[in-house]
Amino acid sequence: MTERADKTIELSVLRYNPETDEKPHHQSFTVPYTRDMSVLQGLQWIKDTVDGSLTFRWSCRMAICGSCGMMINGEPKLACHTLLRDLAPGPVTVEPLAHFPIERDLVVTVDDFVKKIESVTPWLIPKHPKPVSEGPYNQTPAQLEAYENFSACINCMLCYAACPQYGENPKFVGPAAMAILQRYNGDSRDDGSALRIDAVHGEDGVWGCTAVGACSDVCPKAVDPMHAVNQNKMNTALDYFLRFLKKRDAK
Amino acid sequence: MPHAPEKRSNAPIFWLLFGAGGTLSALFGVGLILVTGFLAPQGIGVAPEALSYENALAFTQNWLGKAVIWAVISLFFWHAAERLYLTLKDMHVFSDTGRRLLTYGVAALVTAVTAGLLLAIGF
Amino acid sequence: MSDRRPYVRPMPRDWWARRPFRHYTIRELSGVTIAIYAAVLLSGLVALLQGPAAWEIWRGWLASPASLVLHAVLLVAMIWHLRTWFQILPKTMPKLVVGGSPVPQRLITLIGTSVAIVCSTALVAFVLWRPF
Repeated sequence: MTERADKTIELSVLRYNPETDEKPHHQSFTVPYTRDMSVLQGLQWIKDTVDGSLTFRWSCRMAICGSCGMMINGEPKLACHTLLRDLAPGPVTVEPLAHFPIERDLVVTVDDFVKKIESVTPWLIPKHPKPVSEGPYNQTPAQLEAYENFSACINCMLCYAACPQYGENPKFVGPAAMAILQRYNGDSRDDGSALRIDAVHGEDGVWGCTAVGACSDVCPKAVDPMHAVNQNKMNTALDYFLRFLKKRDAK
Repeated sequence: MPHAPEKRSNAPIFWLLFGAGGTLSALFGVGLILVTGFLAPQGIGVAPEALSYENALAFTQNWLGKAVIWAVISLFFWHAAERLYLTLKDMHVFSDTGRRLLTYGVAALVTAVTAGLLLAIGF
Repeated sequence: MSDRRPYVRPMPRDWWARRPFRHYTIRELSGVTIAIYAAVLLSGLVALLQGPAAWEIWRGWLASPASLVLHAVLLVAMIWHLRTWFQILPKTMPKLVVGGSPVPQRLITLIGTSVAIVCSTALVAFVLWRPF
């Protein structure tokens, strides 16, 4: 059942200890691996047998929790979803997600990302609120298709690590937040797009995007955040000129 | 926590001009370059007098000809302006005001100058 | 408990020249060459206003090898712009759902590119067959 680990690969891991290190540095580990081992399992082997202080986030090991995003050979990847055998002969560089501050080793600060997700009002605001007794809000399969891929986001932040505009300007609302925004704006049951426009129409909203496209290339769930951001450029541009025709809500 | 209201950007104006120029050039740019850069000046499949002063003047004095020339020249400049503005920003070249003058400023100037030239040529 | 001291890595200033962003930068610069072509047309307009003598000088330059080389470069850049423009088109428009399933982005790119080829071909055909 268990395959013998007769091959090894070198992992060059970026280390940073905020208590002792002035700045991050690389440390190399020679890791024995089998055909089925992921980079995450390689890191776990290091932590279990070589250096228990190696710090990284992980949970599900199956590309669904979005915790183990890191830069593997300079590309944003889920460590659990990247096999060591595909990286042979190595060496492999493993670094924390780009564009985020490093807390310790491979762990980055997520506060800014979480704030951005919150800023897009990420829940359904029904057109006609009704009590549970009146039954569910129905939706056709075609209406589901209109937003379904945007709902697949697992908040892994790979798209932010891929986005040079977020790297240049941390105020840019960024790809995942716009994908989540479009997940609700594109939902036939939702009527909250007016509440979400503030997150979109500023310089640091969709206009911070220059259509590089790297966000969609690295997304492990085919969410296509580039599509979400750029279709909202058109929506916002139309809103810019048509807003004067719209009736203002009385407050 | 709702998003703090953010100032609305004026980017849509430039973005729509960029999009119009990008679409016009994507649809007809290759054909235009083939005609004005190769076929007409080299006389390939086109009679040499096609590019005569009289013909060019007649085309430019026609209101439809004027509209085509104005749209092509100004929208092509607006398209390039948006792309150059963002690329210069990526490259950290010049200040933001400098970048805007060099790109949107030039495009606005070209739009006005082309309109002026077309009017000066007359109907 | 230890004190937090998050380390912020600097953004490399030349990221736009590096992989995988080189492709993006080339795409953007191919769009910039469109203004160079428009400038050629603008210079023709200036020559036209100056009179027949200036127009003939401009016409002569347009037939010169230097102009041919310039237009060859502009043509390559324009073809690249056409290609990349329609690669991005499905990202800019709303998601198309036809008959309950989304229209593949590749199909949208293919249709857009085909329309552009038809437009440019029609323009060339019009010039070639129109009796001047």
